Amino acid sequence: MAGFLVRRVGQIIPTLLFVSLLIFGLQQLMPGDPALILAGEERGDPLVLAQIRAELNLDRPLHEQYVLWLFKVLQGDLGFSWRIREPVAKVILEKLPVTLQLGLMAFVIACLIGIPAGIVSAVKKDQPADWIANGVALAGISTPNFWLGIMMILLFSVHLGWLPPSGYVALTVDWRQSLATTIMPAFVLGTGIAAVLMRHTRSAMVQAMNQDYVRTARAKGLAERIVVAKHALRNALVPVITLGALELGTLLSGAVLTEQVFTIPGFGKLVVDAVFNRDYPVVQGVVLVVAVIYVLLNLAADVLYILINPRLRHA
Amino acid sequence: MTPLLEVRDLAVSFATDEGTVRAVDGVSFSLAPGRRLAIVGESGCGKSVTALAIMRLLAPNARAQGSVRLEGEDVLAASDSRMRALRGGRIAMIFQEPMTSLNPAFTVGDQIVEAIREHTDASPSEARAQAIAWLARVRIPAPERRFDEYPHRLSGGMRQRVMIAMAMACRPSVLIADEPTTALDVTIQAQILGLMRELSEETGTAIVLITHDLGVVAELAHDVLVMYAGRVVEQASLDTLFRTPQHPYTVGLMGAVPRLDEEVARLATIEGTVPSPRAWPPGCRFAPRCPFVIERCRTEVPPLAEVGPGHVAACVQAPLDRFAAAA
Ligand SMILES: Nc1ncnc2c1ncn2[C@@H]1O[C@H](COP(=O)(O)OP(=O)(O)OP(=O)(O)O)[C@@H](O)[C@H]1O
Ligand code: SF4
Ligand SMILES: [Mg+2]
Repeated sequence: MAGFLVRRVGQIIPTLLFVSLLIFGLQQLMPGDPALILAGEERGDPLVLAQIRAELNLDRPLHEQYVLWLFKVLQGDLGFSWRIREPVAKVILEKLPVTLQLGLMAFVIACLIGIPAGIVSAVKKDQPADWIANGVALAGISTPNFWLGIMMILLFSVHLGWLPPSGYVALTVDWRQSLATTIMPAFVLGTGIAAVLMRHTRSAMVQAMNQDYVRTARAKGLAERIVVAKHALRNALVPVITLGALELGTLLSGAVLTEQVFTIPGFGKLVVDAVFNRDYPVVQGVVLVVAVIYVLLNLAADVLYILINPRLRHA
Repeated sequence: MTPLLEVRDLAVSFATDEGTVRAVDGVSFSLAPGRRLAIVGESGCGKSVTALAIMRLLAPNARAQGSVRLEGEDVLAASDSRMRALRGGRIAMIFQEPMTSLNPAFTVGDQIVEAIREHTDASPSEARAQAIAWLARVRIPAPERRFDEYPHRLSGGMRQRVMIAMAMACRPSVLIADEPTTALDVTIQAQILGLMRELSEETGTAIVLITHDLGVVAELAHDVLVMYAGRVVEQASLDTLFRTPQHPYTVGLMGAVPRLDEEVARLATIEGTVPSPRAWPPGCRFAPRCPFVIERCRTEVPPLAEVGPGHVAACVQAPLDRFAAAA
C-alpha cells in the first residue's frame, strides 16, 4: 500500500509537467504581445516595453522562459490579470471556495439520489420501480442544466418566493443564506450527475447480485436487505467510486452555464469573463488549477479503489 | 420415525421467453438423520435445481410444487423469516465454485462469524472463537491468521474448506453439497470428501451430495438417487446400486467409472446428451439414448417400481438381469 502510494505519486509528477508544458505552449500561441497590453497608454515608449519584457523574462530564450515560469508557478505566482489588475493566484483563491462549495454540495446531492436509485432499480430490475428510475435518469441526463435552472428559479424564486433567484453569500458570512443561494444550482448540477451515477450503480449492482457470493449470503439465512446493502453493494461500489471522483472533478472545474444562470461567482463565471475579455493569464491560471485538481482527484480515486478492494490492497 | 428431510413430488418450472419449462418433474426422496444421500446425473438433469428448490434459493422466475419437509416442517410454505432461520441454521449448502462463492470484499473469518451471529446469540468474541475453532476443524493451518485473510489469498481447496466451516458452524442437521469437489484437483477432492465424511460422522449432520461423478458417490454416500432429465430413474443403497444397477441410464453412467464389480453388465458410455427441458421426449425420457429401448418406451412413462428390497427403478425393461446373463 505505502509502496503503491509512492509509485502513484511518482507517476503524477510527469503528468503535471506535461500539463505545464501544454499550458506554457498555449501561452506562446496566444495572439497579442503581452508587453504591449501591459504597457497600456505607454505602449509607444520602447524603453517601457523593454523594461516590461525584462521583468516578464520575455527577452530570454523559450526554454529558459519555461523554467522561470514553472518556478514562479510553483511559488504560487500565476501571473497578473490584465483586466482585473490583480495577481491571478489571488483572483483564483477568491473564487475557489465558491466552486468548491457548489461542487461538493452538488456531489453530495448526486450521491444521495444516484446511488440509492441505482440500487433500487437493480434490485427491482425489470419491474415498475426500475422503469421509473431509468425514465427519470434519462430525463435527468437529457435535460439541459440551464433550462432546469431557469425552471427552478421560476418555480422557487418567482412563484413561491422561497429562495433567492441569484447571487451568492459566502459560508463564512451567513451559512443559512449561503445554503439558500447555492442549493438550487447545486441541485441542478447534482441531478445531472445523479443520473450518471444511478446508471453505473445499477449495472454494477445487477452484476453483483448475480454473483455466487450473493447466493452464499442468502444460503446463510441473511435478510435480503443485508445481502443487498452489504454483500452486493460493497463490491458494486468499487467501480462507482472511481466514476464519482471523475464526476467531482468535472464539477470542480466550474459549471459554466449553471453559474451563469444563477450568477454564482465561481470558476465558471471567472473563465467566461476572462475569455470574453481576452484575459489570458486568468484563463491559463484556471486551466492549470483545474488540471491539478483533476490529477489529484484521480489519485484519490485510485487510493480509494485500493482501500475498498482487498485484492489490490495486499498486492 | 419421521425422516429428517422428506421431498415428495417436487416439481420446478421456470417461466422463460419460450414459455414454461419444467426442469424438475416429480422428484421424491427422504433422508434419515446422519445419512448421506448422493444425487447423480449428467449435466442438466435438474440436480442443482432440486437442491436450490429445497433451500428456496431458486431464481424469481421459478415455481416449485410438491412438498419439502424438514424435521416435519413444510419448507415450501414457510414464511420468509422462518425460511431465513432454517437456511444456514437447520439446512446449509455449499457450492461448486469455491473461487467465487466467498465474498471477495470480506475476510473469511468475518464471513463465518456472520453466519454464526445470524443464527445464535454468540457475542462477537465468542463467534470469533467458534469460527477459528471451525477453521481448525476443517484443517486450515494457522486458523487464527487465516481468520483475517481475504478469500483471494486462499487456494480453491482452502476456500472450499472455509465454505464447509461456514456451513457447519451453526450445526445444521442437513448439509447440501452441490458438486463440492468438481472444481478441485484429484488429491484435494479426496481430502475434501474425507473431511465431509468425518464431519458428518462426528456431528451427525446428514448430507445430500450432488455430483455427476460416481467415484465421488462411492467415497461418501450411503444411498444413491439417479436423476435423468428432471426425474428420478433409480434409487438404491450404494452397494446395491453399484452391484446391480437396474436402469439402463445408471448402467451407462457406470461405463464411465472404474469397474467396482465384475458382474455389472458393461455398456459403452452413453451416446448423446441430456435433452433440454424445453423438449423432453414423450414416454421414457431416456428412450432416444437407450440401447434397450422398445416400442412401449416411447409412449408410456415408466413408473418407479420396486426391483429389489429398497431398490426402485423406472424402466419397462427392469430388472435387467436377463441382459447381463446374455452378455
Ligand atoms: N433460472 C432458470 N430459468 C430457466 N431454466 C433454468 C433456470 N435454472 C435452471 N434451468 C434449467 O434447468 C435445467 C436443470 O438445471 P440444473 O442446474 O439443475 O442441472 P444440473 O443437473 O445441476 O447440471 P450441472 O451438472 O450442469 O450443474 C437446465 O436445463 C437449466 O437450463
Ligand atoms: S424404459 Fe425403455 S427407454 Fe427407458 S430406460 Fe427402460 S428400456 Fe430404456
Ligand atoms: Mg448443477
